[in-house]
Amino acid sequence: MTNMIDIINVKKSFGDNHVLRDVSLSVRKGEVLVILGPSGSGKSTLIRCINRLESIDGGTIMVEGEDIYSPTSDIHKLRTKVGMVFQQFNLFPHMTVLDNLTLAPTKVKGESKEASERTALALLEKVGLKDRAGAYPHELSGGQQQRVAIARSLAMHPDIMLFDEVTSALDPELVKGVLEIMKDLAQGGMTMLVVTHEMGFAKEVADRVIFMDGGYIIEESAPKDLFENPQNERTKEFLAMIL
Amino acid sequence: MSLGFRPDLLVDILPELLRGARITLELTIISVALGTLIGLVVGVCRVSHLKILNVPAALYVEVLRGTPLLVQVMIVYYGLPGVGINLGQMPSGILALSLNSGAYVAEIFKAGIKSIKKGQTEASFSLGMTYGQNMRYVILPQAVRNILPALGNEFIALIKDSSLVSVIAIEELLRRGMIVYSRTYNAWTPLLGVAMLYLCMTVPLSRVVAYLERRWEIND
Ligand SMILES: Nc1ncnc2c1ncn2[C@@H]1O[C@H](COP(=O)(O)OP(=O)(O)O)[C@@H](O)[C@H]1O
Ligand SMILES: [Mg+2]
Repeated sequence: MTNMIDIINVKKSFGDNHVLRDVSLSVRKGEVLVILGPSGSGKSTLIRCINRLESIDGGTIMVEGEDIYSPTSDIHKLRTKVGMVFQQFNLFPHMTVLDNLTLAPTKVKGESKEASERTALALLEKVGLKDRAGAYPHELSGGQQQRVAIARSLAMHPDIMLFDEVTSALDPELVKGVLEIMKDLAQGGMTMLVVTHEMGFAKEVADRVIFMDGGYIIEESAPKDLFENPQNERTKEFLAMIL
Repeated sequence: MSLGFRPDLLVDILPELLRGARITLELTIISVALGTLIGLVVGVCRVSHLKILNVPAALYVEVLRGTPLLVQVMIVYYGLPGVGINLGQMPSGILALSLNSGAYVAEIFKAGIKSIKKGQTEASFSLGMTYGQNMRYVILPQAVRNILPALGNEFIALIKDSSLVSVIAIEELLRRGMIVYSRTYNAWTPLLGVAMLYLCMTVPLSRVVAYLERRWEIND
């Protein structure tokens, strides 16, 4: 089995709003996939389907070969394999940074407090925030909070990481630090799906870029090809608008 | 003898009224504790997506809030013995007050839980937590913090509402006042004393609530 994720003919609508009309996509182990598309084109919905934060109306999604929408699948266990980082950080505000990182490992995986704290501190060191372990989220800048959120996901040792416009809510000067961490992760072999408008990141780090619009993936290629030689009219328009 | 305010009488009956105030506080504290427990359970059921939980919870709230507390007190005290359950005065009073308060507290918990942003639950779920783990470790600790002022107000309301159990002859504050009245034929003095003692209990509490609200606004 070589694919980490297989999305097969997935359909999803909110009422009359057909957000995903027919989407198929496979992601290999270690691949970094960047998802582009105008606002409202279903990028968030698509990646939220990958850990079943949304229901789907048709099709199949397999994570590491397991059908995650099958009634017999253990969704909580599957979700531990898929980390997710949100635009709004979503840290737990009533807990310290360290507790944010150790909550799920201890409660979900049954790790000991000591072991989970060791992992947490190592991860905080990696994201440059070891000295803030005892701080509360509101005491941190947005960029720091997002780095904590990434570390919190990594503390579950996921095989796949999903990033949904994780730098969009940050002041420009804080974006770089977060992107650096994502780049490190990518170089470490993490399988990543990244929704972003950071074209520099896409060009430098992505193995493949897809462009979504109108409920379909309408273009898919290596970043260089997509940026330098887009085939679809709507891709061209979109790139002209944001570049 | 004067039927107006008599300071000498007030001094005489104050110890008696204070004994009543003590019963009022006992009733209220126990009922608030039980009511909060009931409210927590019913409130969590209320926000559940499972019909088997949220329908009975909604019904509970509807019935307990839609009928007078006075009627509930009487049903527990005079009605339940008819089906073989004879609790006695104090337990009947506590039961009725707790069940009633539980309904209001359930709505407070429901609002508190709903006030927590959806992103919190999504973060929990994406980390593999179950519904119950998310509720217990992420949602409720934040919700409780937000609803502390409302719970304080419920405490104040219950201090006042507990006067209704005087109808089943529990010698709480109001009942004590009425006993003095029937003995001395002076209503003005004991009832003024009663009102004053209620104020002595509610005013400090409302200060605490105001403080909590202020702190809450700052943290927001
Ligand atoms: N929970 C929801 N309920 C109803 N409509 C939704 C919901 N989530 C997203 N949508 C709609 O689905 C469409 C796609 O949204 P989204 O996936 O967030 O797009 P993107 O991330 O590409 O901007 C939008 O029109 C949005 O309004
Ligand atoms: Mg989005």
